[in-house]
Amino acid sequence: MRHKGWMALVGIAVALVALPAIRHATEFPMFYLIFLSGILFWTAQSTSWNILSGYSGYFSFGQGAFFGVGVYTMAVLFGRQGMSWWAAALVAGIASMLLGLAIGTIAFRLRSLRGEIFALLTLAIPFILASVARLSKTIDGGQGIVIPVPVAPSFLSQFQEFVFVVSGVVALFALAVAYWMQHTRYGWALFTIRDDEDVAEGLGVPTFFHKMIAIGVTGLIAGVSGAVFALQLGFVSVEGTFNLDVPLFVIVMSVLGGRGHWAGPMVGAIYVYTLQNRLASGGFEGWSLIVLGVILVLVMLLAPQGLMAGFRRRPWLSASVFVVIFLGLWLLGVTTDPVTSLALALGVTAVIAFMPGGRRRLSQGESDTGPAQEHHAPVGDEATAERAGTGRPLLVAQDVVKTFGGVRALRGVSMAVHEGELVGLVGPNGSGKTTLVNLISGAFRPTTGTISLDGEGIVGSTPHRIAHLGIARTYQIPRPFTSLTVRDNVAMAIMFGREPLSLDVSRRAAVEYLDLVGIGGRADALPGEINLHQRQLLEMARAIATRPSLLLLDEALAGLNPVEIDNAVDVVRRIRRSGVSIVLVEHLLRVVNQLATRIVVLDHGLELAEGEPAVVMSDPAVVKAYLGRRADAAGE
Amino acid sequence: MRRRARILAIVSALALVAAACAGDSTTTTAGGTPGTTAATDTTVAPSTTAAPSTTAEGSGDPIVVGGTLSLTGAFAATGAIHKLAGDMFVERLNAAGGLLGREVQWNLLDDESDTANVAPLYEQLISQDQVDLIMGPYATPNILAAMPVAERYGYTLPQHTAVLAPLMTYACQFPGWSIGPEPNSFIPNQIADALDSLDGAVSTVALLTNESGSTAFVSYGIADDPDDPSTLNILPERGYEIVADIPYPPGYEDWGSTAAQVRDANADLVLVNGLGVEANSLIDAMQQLDYAPPMMFALFPAPGPLLGLGDAAQGTLSVSIFEPNEPILEQMDPEVGEIVDEFAERAAAEEIPYTVFETQAAASWNAWEILAQGVEGAGSTDGQGICDSLHSTGADLTFSGAVTFDTAVNNFWETTEGLKQIQGSEWVMVWPEDIAAGTLAGPTG
Amino acid sequence: MIELQAAVSGALNGSLFALMALGLSLAWGFLKVINLAHFAMILLSGYLTFELATSIGLGPIATIVITAPLMFLVGALIQLGYERFDVSELNSLLISYGLLIITVQVVTNIWTADFLRLPPEINPFSAQSVGVGSLRFPVPTLLAAGFAVVLVVTAALVLERTYAGRALQAFGQDREIASAFGIDHRLLGVLLAGAVGASAAIAGMLFPIGGTLTPDLPFEWIGLVFAIVILGGIGNVTGTLYAGLLVGAISGLVAVVWTPSTSPFVVFSLVVLALVFRPKGLFPQKGG
Repeated sequence: MRHKGWMALVGIAVALVALPAIRHATEFPMFYLIFLSGILFWTAQSTSWNILSGYSGYFSFGQGAFFGVGVYTMAVLFGRQGMSWWAAALVAGIASMLLGLAIGTIAFRLRSLRGEIFALLTLAIPFILASVARLSKTIDGGQGIVIPVPVAPSFLSQFQEFVFVVSGVVALFALAVAYWMQHTRYGWALFTIRDDEDVAEGLGVPTFFHKMIAIGVTGLIAGVSGAVFALQLGFVSVEGTFNLDVPLFVIVMSVLGGRGHWAGPMVGAIYVYTLQNRLASGGFEGWSLIVLGVILVLVMLLAPQGLMAGFRRRPWLSASVFVVIFLGLWLLGVTTDPVTSLALALGVTAVIAFMPGGRRRLSQGESDTGPAQEHHAPVGDEATAERAGTGRPLLVAQDVVKTFGGVRALRGVSMAVHEGELVGLVGPNGSGKTTLVNLISGAFRPTTGTISLDGEGIVGSTPHRIAHLGIARTYQIPRPFTSLTVRDNVAMAIMFGREPLSLDVSRRAAVEYLDLVGIGGRADALPGEINLHQRQLLEMARAIATRPSLLLLDEALAGLNPVEIDNAVDVVRRIRRSGVSIVLVEHLLRVVNQLATRIVVLDHGLELAEGEPAVVMSDPAVVKAYLGRRADAAGE
Repeated sequence: MRRRARILAIVSALALVAAACAGDSTTTTAGGTPGTTAATDTTVAPSTTAAPSTTAEGSGDPIVVGGTLSLTGAFAATGAIHKLAGDMFVERLNAAGGLLGREVQWNLLDDESDTANVAPLYEQLISQDQVDLIMGPYATPNILAAMPVAERYGYTLPQHTAVLAPLMTYACQFPGWSIGPEPNSFIPNQIADALDSLDGAVSTVALLTNESGSTAFVSYGIADDPDDPSTLNILPERGYEIVADIPYPPGYEDWGSTAAQVRDANADLVLVNGLGVEANSLIDAMQQLDYAPPMMFALFPAPGPLLGLGDAAQGTLSVSIFEPNEPILEQMDPEVGEIVDEFAERAAAEEIPYTVFETQAAASWNAWEILAQGVEGAGSTDGQGICDSLHSTGADLTFSGAVTFDTAVNNFWETTEGLKQIQGSEWVMVWPEDIAAGTLAGPTG
Repeated sequence: MIELQAAVSGALNGSLFALMALGLSLAWGFLKVINLAHFAMILLSGYLTFELATSIGLGPIATIVITAPLMFLVGALIQLGYERFDVSELNSLLISYGLLIITVQVVTNIWTADFLRLPPEINPFSAQSVGVGSLRFPVPTLLAAGFAVVLVVTAALVLERTYAGRALQAFGQDREIASAFGIDHRLLGVLLAGAVGASAAIAGMLFPIGGTLTPDLPFEWIGLVFAIVILGGIGNVTGTLYAGLLVGAISGLVAVVWTPSTSPFVVFSLVVLALVFRPKGLFPQKGG
């Protein structure tokens, strides 16, 4: 796919350069360049939207803001002030990027601003910008701005060719960036954010940083694209720029085409633009919106993943059907012009996307890196392995209190984990075990109290930083990245570890961890295809792939049958042998007895008892705490 | 279930594809009879770029006029009027022998009121469909979008409603509705003239403005020049105090609050430089506050709805270049009466709510006449030839008389626009007195 | 003084938008769908009200006897469709957008794109108002406020006091677990969607009473309605009403103290601030 992608981009670049020249030679109607310019514009806009929203899952309804900033920067700087058009376009891109970064700074900092809240925030921004543009006479004042025709370089004598080439450059840039991101950590960080942001953060992905990059890039591309489009329009007005068209259509195109792939939005743009164009020019009076609406509904119902996903299941069939029909209709003269042939070819090809079956549904990027080769990623910290059992304090929690609203989950817990230990953290439901784990991993901050790792205080650090310092955790209900394969799940943890590694290297190194926990054979499966036990093992593999010095296992054995439990216990032992200190939160007392070197019992947010397993578990206070509730104290 | 759904989808897709085929091979022409597209060459073999035919004598091929109108979307209400007027004109033209002895066909596309659609559609009409002539779209931003395309290909662009003269810089653009080269000066001065004749009955004015395009221009002049003539400047100079200046955005909803402000200002004349039904909404809102201003003016309203307000809208003023009032019709060619009647019939048949042939339709008619006379004068469909012919001989318009085109004023001919007023159940021309069909009624209450 | 009158007129105007926002908010909060088709139903109801009032002489308010059940069915059917095809939240946005533009086109084809107004003989309300002291309360928006209050109170009572309502709340909070408790979420969802459709019919009826109809209206409503949904808190019925009144009052006040063009700036800046500082809405429910 790598090579195919590159070839596609190069092909587009070649076409861009060649078409005006071909037009000079054959003198085909200028209209086709205009048509293609329209597609290029929408490709740039929807690809830029997809980089943030498709890849990361943070849906933005505010593409109009970036577009509008681009348009008006060009209008004011070039149209009114007389700056050169390309300088104005660059300024437009930068201004739009800054707007994106500003929005990101506000929106991404706040944990509460996820999902739909972010979407609504971005919906409001264009309205604000629109009213500012209307209120300010320097910007617009309401009457609109006329944009003169720029002076084009001499070899692009015609204005429309000039627009075509410039639009093409912008679109190509957008596609290249999307493509590059999809194949590097920048895109992969976004995919993990999309699948499960909290988990990603806990594995070491600097989520804020990557989201800012995504929104900045979106703004940059959309701004430049808008600026170039303004040149084409010739006259801009507030209501014409800041309406719902751009924001809605980039979503339509990206979702229709497919959000997970760099070329998806382009495919969507081609489909929607061609369809609209044919509807408008085909004399479909009174039908165009109906047809468009029906097609939108049908495609979303029957190919909710988008057309690209369907095409990728049958790539050769799709490509050949399209080419045959398009060229056939055009060259045989069945239709009056190539654009109609295009529309028909696209329509028929789309049917292929609806057909079920075909190649196995591919996960995010194919795992075609071949069999594992050298394993160089060490498990655990080598220094720790040497000092296994030295007993020096690794993690120290002091008087930790955590209140949520009116509930005091932890009321002053102090505990320490020494190197090489396997501490069992037990207690009835509601005693605060998982809360303590969340605090140690950085998901929450303690209300009061300190926590330190290797003597360094970690309260207030971001989870990804804590991960890099050496703390990893698993979740009671496994939370794998659902769109990545088992191998890629682990590869993510390696890729974003203390030292950044490339995707290929990470994938190769992932195998070792998979083997350690025993699921190496399922490396290419998707998490949805493996059973609960395997998912739990995947959790562990992913966690240890971050090479932690401390691993927090939160009820990692929940829901398993006895055979699976025994296997899991073996795995935990293996992990411990590799030099990782462990805190094991568990209900199953027999497991705790088997594994733990020391037990800490929590009850009602306080430490109830602490010490060797046999001693602690026969402590009358502990027994009462367990039997006094309907907890599963009758653990094996 | 999914099986059946997929089959359904495939069938629908094929049906749509088939429909697309069918749609592609017809174009709408005057009267709705399907014709063939201008480009009969169906291969991609190179065709000459836009070189409109220059044959001088009737060659039998129809002359195709391409253009777009807002048939759906925000401007569609008025787009329908222009479509009907255009259809009627083309039919009469063909009945009288067409242009240069050839039948005229109007290839009309729907730009869906979306400015971004206009330029590509005109490009298509010109460079792909190779139409011989073009007619402008409706609404100022759309006309401005079509203008550079026309200019690039050297097509003459007759247009019916863009009155923002300073922006219409293309030498071969010809307006069907002219308020002169400076509407921002002409309109306020004309209003002031009319008010002067009321001998001091009106002294204060509340100004409301739709902040977009031509309405903002008339109220405030060119955006970054506060000294440009404007309603805001001129009325005080003429002795009329502006006691409230309320600009509002297009799509404004909150008329109740604005009505309170207007009532409070207590002006003799409420001057609404607005569009569509904004004046209606304001009147409704003022009624709800138990307030009726002595006099009202609306710049570019949708004419029908205001009449529907009955008493509340009596005496409202607006601008017009033509109203089919009896006294006016009597002085004109009987053909005018026929046009007015036919329009009313056909509008009713097409269920257009307001069936009166008035200023908008007249502007359309003017634009078409300019085009037709230019072609006949040039003896060809060559854009430059038409343009030159119009510049040298001007045009003789049924509804606006003899006009001349001077590029120094962007071809905006000396205007015949006057003021109309709602009297009874119709709009009546009331100013200037020499073209009036009725007397200007002064403020009430 | 005009500021007070402006705030009152604005607040009443806002209640009409709150009525529109109510349905959207309920669907979003409890059914997890962003249903732009809601606007389509409002538009269609408005035109049907106009048609019924002018052709068979049914009083404009009385038309809801026909339109409300009709839209109940439409709403329920659409929800059934979403359930059948297991539509995700984002996809529901796109599908409903498709339905919206289909509806706009159909309305344009049937009733033309021109402005439609009920003549004063049929609709006496448009010019009427109720006076209290020196303040006037325009009848059309007063009606809107009345309906809004009734619907909000009803919805709040149903959600709090009935089994079905609480089940919906549970469903809205955590779908999987709620279904595990045996709550038939499908039926509940369809009923709720039907009720939302009926509310759309009521909102739609109010538009021809208050002003003019044109097919393009939905695109002018979307911004403000979403603003009210956000400020009220998604799924928070009383919050939606308060938010509508607040937004309307502020809008009206700003229009008069500054200019009408400043209103959107203030309102949407408020939305941004609210999202940053109070993402659950300005009027959070206890334990919500």
